[in-house]
Order: sequence, then structure tokens, then C-alpha cells
Amino acid sequence: MTTLSDLKISEVKLAAEEGGKWGMVIDQDICTGCQACVAACSMENNIPFVGEDDSGYGRAMHWIRIERFWEGEYPEVKMTNQQPMMCQQCGSAPCEPVCPAFATVHSQAEQLNLQVYNRCVGTRYCANNCPYQVRTFNWRDYERPEPLPNQFNPDVTVRRRGVMEKCTFCIQRIHRAQDKAKAEGREVMDGEFTTACAQACPTNAITFGRIDKEDTLVYQMMHHGHGKKHLEELGTLPNIVYMNGNGAA
Amino acid sequence: MAESKSKKSQGVLAVFGDLEPTADAIENLRKLGVSDECMYVISGVPVTEAMLGRPKQWSNVPRVAMGGAILGFSAASFLAFIAPYWYPYPIQVSTQAFVPWPPTFVLLFELTMLGMLLSTFLAVFLDSFFPNYRPMQYVPEVSDGKYAIIVECAHVEESKVKDLLKKLGAESIKPAEAKQL
Amino acid sequence: MAYGKKEPEKKKDHHEHHGHTEEHFREKHLMLDPLPRGVMNDMVMEAVTEKPSWKWWATVILMGATVAYCLVYSWIVLIAEGVGVAGVNRPSYWGIFLVNTVFWIGISHAGTFISAILRVFKAEFRRPFTRVAELMTTFGLVQAGFSIFMHMGRVWLFYWLMPYPNQRMLWPNFHSPLSWDLLAITTYLLSSTMYLFLPLIPDLAMARDKTTGWRKNFYRVLALGFRGTEGEWTHLRNAMNIFAFAIIPVMFSVHTIVSWDFAAATRPGWNSTIFGPYFVIGALHSGMGAAVVVLAAVRTFIKNMDYFIRAEHFDAIGKLMLIISMGWAYFFFNDYMVQWYGGDKWTKQLLHFHEAGPLGWMWFAMLIVNIAIPWAVLWNRKWRSTPWLVSTVGILINVGMWFERYIIIPITLTINRMPFTWRMYTPGIEIPLGIGTLVLFILLYVIFAKLIPMIPVWEVQEGQMAHQLKKFGRETVVQVSELE
Repeated sequence: MTTLSDLKISEVKLAAEEGGKWGMVIDQDICTGCQACVAACSMENNIPFVGEDDSGYGRAMHWIRIERFWEGEYPEVKMTNQQPMMCQQCGSAPCEPVCPAFATVHSQAEQLNLQVYNRCVGTRYCANNCPYQVRTFNWRDYERPEPLPNQFNPDVTVRRRGVMEKCTFCIQRIHRAQDKAKAEGREVMDGEFTTACAQACPTNAITFGRIDKEDTLVYQMMHHGHGKKHLEELGTLPNIVYMNGNGAA
Repeated sequence: MAESKSKKSQGVLAVFGDLEPTADAIENLRKLGVSDECMYVISGVPVTEAMLGRPKQWSNVPRVAMGGAILGFSAASFLAFIAPYWYPYPIQVSTQAFVPWPPTFVLLFELTMLGMLLSTFLAVFLDSFFPNYRPMQYVPEVSDGKYAIIVECAHVEESKVKDLLKKLGAESIKPAEAKQL
Repeated sequence: MAYGKKEPEKKKDHHEHHGHTEEHFREKHLMLDPLPRGVMNDMVMEAVTEKPSWKWWATVILMGATVAYCLVYSWIVLIAEGVGVAGVNRPSYWGIFLVNTVFWIGISHAGTFISAILRVFKAEFRRPFTRVAELMTTFGLVQAGFSIFMHMGRVWLFYWLMPYPNQRMLWPNFHSPLSWDLLAITTYLLSSTMYLFLPLIPDLAMARDKTTGWRKNFYRVLALGFRGTEGEWTHLRNAMNIFAFAIIPVMFSVHTIVSWDFAAATRPGWNSTIFGPYFVIGALHSGMGAAVVVLAAVRTFIKNMDYFIRAEHFDAIGKLMLIISMGWAYFFFNDYMVQWYGGDKWTKQLLHFHEAGPLGWMWFAMLIVNIAIPWAVLWNRKWRSTPWLVSTVGILINVGMWFERYIIIPITLTINRMPFTWRMYTPGIEIPLGIGTLVLFILLYVIFAKLIPMIPVWEVQEGQMAHQLKKFGRETVVQVSELE
């Protein structure tokens, strides 16, 4: 049992004050909507194949989705930029306090919003409370016909029915890089690893890295003033900045 | 006068049809010398002791209820203030304080009420010695709205008691034998 | 039975015209129409012990089969296949399961209202039907419990939501409104069951005295050896007083906490500060409607009940229904007007979707059935005193309140701040499961009507002892004594 002095409660910093640790910048002006990030994320994180019917009914389980908006009828169609949307790893995540089982908590070490699969009992309150609607639920035990299980990423668990999941900023890659760096007695270098979606993007629209260090690419992109955060007015303190000039079309 | 002590007296059970003659009977029995501890009334509806001219009944229910409320409050305080520190590390959710006040109020209120109500229920059982399946002095007419007075007095002659009750209009007078209910 | 039979109209003198004759009082008011306790006991016990007819058996078997298929089998399928067989999706992660949960908890509040609040306010007309109402609370909470378990993704791990010491040193998250829900509903379920049982004890003792065979043993065990001594009555009444006063704040807190499941969330249309009292009034609204239906059913289908449950009771409950309907309209308008006025773009979209979307008919039906119909019907005393009419209004109110919760949960969830995710919700296995809970609710009543006395006869007698007629000048009025 931990005592109060062990915890040094006063030193537990809330994410808001630290400004987060891992973040992303997404440049919507150069996103082509090719969905390579969606495919890469699904492969990296052992996301099940939901099938046409369930996907059509709003049960697609991709942790990242490309949102498209348009107005008008063909041929006078006016499109906005594509909008990749995934878990914003909010500093003040509305999904966290509402889980009765503590299955989604804030990680002190990585300053991310964690999803604890084996604790989730499936009340789905977190998904209702996410303003970005980025959480996906395992509505069934989806089939993975052989030889698809050979493709599984051994660093990531598989989830059964009744469990909530969402983008983790590829926390398995974060840990791998940190372990490697620690074994070699150094710090993780900027660009040494990145998330699956950022890695797969052909136009480098997604940039990922440490946002608490000023010398990283992502920090500089975040702070040159051309980006904005989604639904910032809700006070969720998201860790993803979107750059959107809406110059195209 | 000689009292027959050859056989332990079981007491007398008299059935009355209404409240007024019952109250009269109690008053007269008291004049006869039967003390309040030696007699008691069984009824099919709750009538206050004041209506019967009896001393007020002692009950532990309110006290036990209060004790239960305190227990419930303590359990809630444990869950709210102590249990969160039993984790291997503090679990942080959103930017809410570690022990947030509004949820704590809810927790304290609910468990206090639960403690109070559970202990009230339990107190009824304890005070009334429920469940009690031993043979007890009873007549089924009571649940049909009659009043039964049971007199178990050592120092007043039973025949005198019986005569008095008969005079005051008892519907039936019988020995108060303990039967399986 | 003569009770409640309408007398043919004839020329009346002043007193008769104003209904002031003694005979009129006796016919209309149970409390002024005392029968010997033994006769009332026999009437109640006859209803319980009478050999059930083939109609009763047919009903029980049919309902049992429905419950077996709709509730038990469908639930097994739900657990085996996963929540995917239900209609929930993104963004409507909650659907009819939650609607039913809120609905059943709402219905259960009327039981407490009748047995506790009316008791505290010394409304004597509550006396014959407190038990029927309290049964509504217990049975309703059972259905609510089923519905909330149904919606869980991994329901076999539900015990993780309960506070118990464990090897992982993990306690439930009390920041979450769902944890408050658990505490509140557990407290409420236990309290109302205890509050049902306490006044039942003297009636079980009466049943013990009046039956033979297996029934006598059954009642003897449950009656705990109650005899009616001064001590036993004192403890019982002390406890009932404490319960009556204490269960009222519990009742308010339960539905307020249920409303906070929604109000504490960030969704447009949900994050409203008025949800607490709005839901409590909504609960009473649907609950009183259900209560009147149950009362009408008890009066119609159970023998001798028309002595105990009379037009006056429907009249009284009808008045309450009207007032509560007005209260509900007030809170609904508060919630709506403030959202509409604020002009937040997402809320505007949401309100438009409520009224003009594919399920806009539900919104209008809700308003007509929750406000227009009660206001149009229940102001009239004669209509209020007509059991079938008030029960019809009650059923319609329940339909309307179910629609209200459907609008608040899946329809409101459809509109959120991420338009790319907007999608309609279509119910799946929730429909048979919901029907199963409804049929089980009714089935429990049918079975319990043959197991326990449905009328608290001792309370009725107590009330009758307290009422008498007194002449004030030329008029005969009712006088109620305070016997406690």
C-alpha cells in the first residue's frame, strides 16, 4: 500500500500544466485522402475487419478516419480539405472521468489517454462523451479467417467483444523506442520512430513527436501559429494541431 | 389468601372486540393490582400506548438507525478519502481533482442513506426478536381486528382476573398457552 | 358488487344534490365505509387463495413463454454474440437499453411517491394501494436492473463496478456518474424492498392465521412470528416512519443521478443543468400513469378489489397526474427554451433534428400525449373518476414518456459535433428484450397476486378507524383524526 508521502501528491502534475508530451501536427492542405494511414493503423494495431454491413451501420473500427465534407451537386461540387481524425489524447479528456471501471485513465509517463482493454466492461460512456467521436467498440467477435492472424503485430494485444479501443499514438512503438534508447544509455531522438499513420503517409501530412521539447520538428510546426486545435472551446486540451488553409478547391 | 402454586400459571388471555372495553379492562386490571409489566396487549391494528392507557414502549429503532447512518457515512468516507490512495500510483482522470468534491457528496449521501435504512430494517428484527418461530401466546382472532390482553401475574389470583375481564365484556377468556403460530 | 355502481339519476333534495348524504359518503369513500376487519381479511385472502382459473393459468403460461423467449433466450444470444446484435452504433452508443432503464426506474418512483410521500403528507386515500404501488417499485427496478446489465459489453464482469476489496487494490471510479448510479439504484432497490416488506409483515401474519397447508407454512416463515404486541407495532411504525421520510430524498437522488448520466456528458442537448428535476418529474409523470393502469387492472381482474379500490382513488391520482403533467411541461419548456435561445450551432441542429428529422413525429406525439391529452381529460372530475379513461390516459402518458427518453438518448446522440459521424439508430435485439421486461413486469404481478395479500388491510382498518362523519350546521362533513 502506498502512503501519502510515497506519492508526493504535490508533484503529480496535471497534464494541462505540462502541456503534454507526445503530440501531432496534421497538415490538411497536403492530405490527399488516400487512407494509407487508415490501412497502416489497422495493420499495426490488429484492428479487426468489421465487414460491409456493420461498417455501413456505423460500426467501422478504424482508429483513424478521413473525414470528407462537400457541398453542392455534381458537377458543381465544392470540397473542403480532407480531415484525418483520431484520438486527440486530450489533456483534459472528457472520456476519462466517466468510465466507472477506471478503464480509461491518464498516463503520467507518456501524458496520453490510455485505454485498458482488460478492465473495460463495455458501458460505452467514454465513447458517448468523446466530442471527437474517435472511440470504437468491439461490437462482436469479428472473424479473422486464416491466414490473417499471421499478420498480427506481436506488440499489440487483440481485443474481444465488449471492449472499447482507440488510437494510442502507437504506444507500443513509443515504448520500444524508449526501451532501446534506455538500453543504449541515451535519449530518444526526434524522428527515431513515428506512429504507423505518420510513417505510411505518402505526403508526410502527419508529423509526430515530443511536444515538450522545443527542438523537435513537431514542436516547431505546432508553434508557428498557422494551426488550430479542434473543439478547443470545450476545454479538452487536445494534443493534435491541424493546419488547414482550405486553399484547395 | 392462598394462591394455588401447584401448577405454574400460564396466564390468562382475554379477547375483546373493541378498543374502548380493552382500555377499560387495562385500567381496571391495574386497579386490581396487576402491574404493567405483567400484562400486554396484542392487536390487529396499531393502537398507541396512550390510547390503551399503557406506558410508552421503549424502542431502539431510531438509535440503531442513527448508528447505521454513521456506519454508512464511515464506509463512504473510506471509499471517498482513503481508497483512492490505496492504488499503486494515483489514477488521474481528466483534470479532475484526485478526491473531487461533487462525486464525494453523492457517495457520502447514498451510502449514509443505505446504512440508515438497512440498520432500521435490522433494528425491527432485533427489537422484535424476529424471526421467532417458537410457540408463543396468541390467538388468530387478533388478526381479525380483535384485541387480546394477556395477563401473567403471580401475585393476583387468576380467578379474580378472569371475573373482572368477564364483567368488562371479554368475548372469550382462555389460558394463555404458548402454541405454534 | 354494489360498490362503484352508478345510481340512476333521480330528483334530489339539497343534500342529495350536493352529495352530502351519509349513504353517498359511504358509497364513494372507502374510509367511510368500514366493514368488520374479519370480513375485509376474508375478502383479501379469498382473492389470494382462490383456486386459479384456467384463464389465470393460460395467462401465466403465455407470459412465461414470452419471457422465456424474449428475455431469457434473446439475452443469451446477446451475451454470446456481443452487443452487435443490438442496434447501437457510432454515434448512438446508447440506445433502447438505456431508454428502458430510465423508463423502468421512472415507473418505480411512483411507488415510492404513493407509499412514502403521500404517507408523509397524510393523504389518506393512499391506504388501499400502497402495496400495489410498492410492488411496482420493486418490479420496475428489477426490469431496470436487467436493462442496464443488457447494455454492458462484458456483463460477466459487472462486479468490477462494485466496491469490494480485491487483490489488485482497485476500487470503482467514483468520478463516474455510472458509479453513482450503482450506489443510488442499489440503495433504492434495497430500501424499497424493505419498505415493501415491513408493512407486509402484519398482513402475512393475518394470512398465516387464515390459511392451511403449504400456504400456512409459507406465510408462517415470512411473517417471522409477528403477533401484534405493542412492542412489535411500535418498532414497526418507528421503522416505517423513518423509511417514509428517508426514502423520499433517496428517491429524488436516484433519478437525479440517472439524469446526470446524461447531464454530466459533453454532448449537445445533454449538457443541461435542468436535467435533475426534469427527470424526477418525468419519472413521476410516467410512474403515476403506470400506477393508475396497475390499479385499474387490480380492480378489474382480482376478486373483491372493487371494494377497496374505488373511483375516488382514480380521481385523486388523476389530480396528481394533471399537476405532474403541468410540472413536466414546465421543465420541458425550460430545457427547450434555454437551448433554443442560446443559438449554439450544434444545439440548433439538434433541435431541428428532433422536430423535423425522420423521427419528428415522435417529438410531436410526445408533446400531445404528455401535455395535451392529460390537460384535456384530467381537469374533469367525472372523467378522472372513470377508471378505464384515466388508465388510457396513463398508458398514453407512458408511451409519451418512453418517446421522451428515446428522443433524449438515441435521437440526441445522433447529432454531435462531428457531422461525419451522424447516423440513424435502428433498434435490433432491444425490441424483444424490452418486450420481455414488460411482460415479466406484468407476470410478476399476476404471480404475486396469488402469493401475498395485495391490500394492506391493517392500514385500511387504521384509516377507517380515523375517519368519521360529523355534522357542521346542516352539512355532513368528513372528519379525520390523527391517530399516530
